[in-house]
Amino acid sequence: MIKKIIDAIDERIGIRADIKEQLTEYMVPSRMNFWYSLGAVLLAIFTIEIMTGILLLINYIPSVKEAFDSVALITGTIPFGWLVRRVHVLGSYLFIITLFLHMISVLFMGAYKKPREIQWFLGCMIFGAVMFTCLAGYLLPWSQLSYWATTVGTNFPSSIPVIGGFMVHLVRGGELVSQSTLSRFFTLHVVVIPLLLIFLIGAHIFAMHRTGVSNPPWTTDTTKIPFYPKFFLGDLTIIYIFLAILFFFVFFFPQIGFPPDTLVRANPLLTPEHIKPEWYFLGSYQVIKIIPNKFLGISLQGVIVALIFLLPVIDRCEERRVWKRPIFASCVIFAVVAYVVLTIWGSYS
Amino acid sequence: MEENLSRRSFLKKAVGIVVGLTAASSAAPIVRYLIPKLSKEGDNILTNADGEPMNEKDIAEGSSFVGSSAFGPTIVVRNAGKLIAYSAVCTHLGCLVKWQQNDDTFLCPCHAGRYDINGKNISGPPPAPLPKYSVTIDASGHILLGKV
Ligand code: FES
Repeated sequence: MIKKIIDAIDERIGIRADIKEQLTEYMVPSRMNFWYSLGAVLLAIFTIEIMTGILLLINYIPSVKEAFDSVALITGTIPFGWLVRRVHVLGSYLFIITLFLHMISVLFMGAYKKPREIQWFLGCMIFGAVMFTCLAGYLLPWSQLSYWATTVGTNFPSSIPVIGGFMVHLVRGGELVSQSTLSRFFTLHVVVIPLLLIFLIGAHIFAMHRTGVSNPPWTTDTTKIPFYPKFFLGDLTIIYIFLAILFFFVFFFPQIGFPPDTLVRANPLLTPEHIKPEWYFLGSYQVIKIIPNKFLGISLQGVIVALIFLLPVIDRCEERRVWKRPIFASCVIFAVVAYVVLTIWGSYS
Repeated sequence: MEENLSRRSFLKKAVGIVVGLTAASSAAPIVRYLIPKLSKEGDNILTNADGEPMNEKDIAEGSSFVGSSAFGPTIVVRNAGKLIAYSAVCTHLGCLVKWQQNDDTFLCPCHAGRYDINGKNISGPPPAPLPKYSVTIDASGHILLGKV
C-alpha cells in the first residue's frame, strides 16, 4: 500500500531520482571523518529543539503575570514536562558546543576558503541567530535570573554613542524589561528566529551541495563515494553518541542550567546577588567587566566578530593544510584558549 | 526587435518600481509599529511593587526603599531625617542598587559598583553618577518625585 502511494507520487514528480541524486548517491570524499558529521549532529539537535519548543509552547503563557507559573506547571505537574524542558535547555547548550566545534574544525581544515566563502558567511549568521534566540528564550521563564540577566544583556547597546539609548528602548519595547520585552522576545524566540534559522540552514546546505563537500586537507586521495550507506551510518552513529551525552546530563545532572535564582519569580524591584548570564555569554561578560570603558569593551568584541565573519575575505591564500599555516593555527588556538579562560574567569568572578 | 527590447526594459523597470514602492510603503508602518512610545516625564508618586503609593512615614531613619515611579525604579533613603531619592538603576548595565547602611553607600550587586550618598560613582565599573530626583511630600504623606 505505502509502496503504491510512493510509486504514484514518484510517477508524477520523480521524487526517487531526486533523493538518489541529492542524498543517497550524492558523492562525497571517501576520507571524511568525525568532524564532517557535526553538521548532521547540529541538524538533529535543531530538530529536537523545534519539537520540544512546540511542546513547551502548548502550556507556556507569555504574560508577566503567568509566565513563571506556567513554566512551573510544565516542570512540576504536566507528565514528562520536566523532561521536555530539560531537553530543550540542555539541547541548546549542546547545540552551541557542537556549533563551536563545527566552526573550529572548519577553521583548522581551511574549509571557509574559496569556493566555500558563502557557507562560512551563512554559518556565522546561523551562529549569531542562535546566540540571539538563546538570549531571547532565557527571559521567557520570567525568573529572577532570567529577568536580571536580560536587563544586563539588553543594556549592552546603551554604550553606543547617539543611538545606544534608542536601541535599548527598541529591544526592550520600553524603558525597562517588562511585558513589552517579554512579548517581543517571545515572538523572536518562537517565530522570527526559528524561521530565519530554517532559511539560513537551508541556504547553508544548498551552498554545500553546490560547491561539494571539501576534501580533507590531510590527504591527497580525492576519491569520492556515495553518501549512503557508509557516511549516512557514520553520521547516525555520531548523532546517537551526542544524544547519549545529552540524555546523560538530562538524567544525571538535572541542576545544570537551573541555578537557584531560576526558581524565584522575577522581581523588577530587587536585583539578586551574583547575576550571571548563561555560560556561553560569560566570556563576553568578563571582557565588559575587565575593560573599564563599556564602549571600548563592546567595540572590541564587535571588531573580533567582524574579523571572524570576514575571514574568507582576509585570508585569501589557497593553502588549507593547518601545519603549513602556523601563524593562523596559533591565532585560532589562542582565541579558543582565551575564550575558555574568560568563560571560567567570568563564572568565578 | 528594438521596439521589443525597449518595451521589455520598460516592463522590467515598472516591475522594480511597483515592488520597491510596495516594500517601502509597507515598511514604514511596520517600523513605526515596532518603536515603543517614550514614557511621559514630570512629577510623580513613588509606589510599591503592587502600585500602591508609599507613605513617607514607612521609611525609617537610615533605611531605604526601592519602588516604582514614572522615572523607573527609584531608591529613597532617609538620612538625617531627610528623604533623598535617586534612580535605582545602576549606570553600568542596569541592575538595581542597594543602600548599605553600614558605610552609607549604594552597592550594585551585579559587578560591585559603588556610589556615595550623593549618588556619585566611587568604585567599580559604573561610568556615571545615579540621577538624582527631588522629593516633596504631599498632604497625605505620599512621596512626589521630580527632576532636579
Ligand atoms: S550593573 Fe551595576 S556594576 Fe554592573
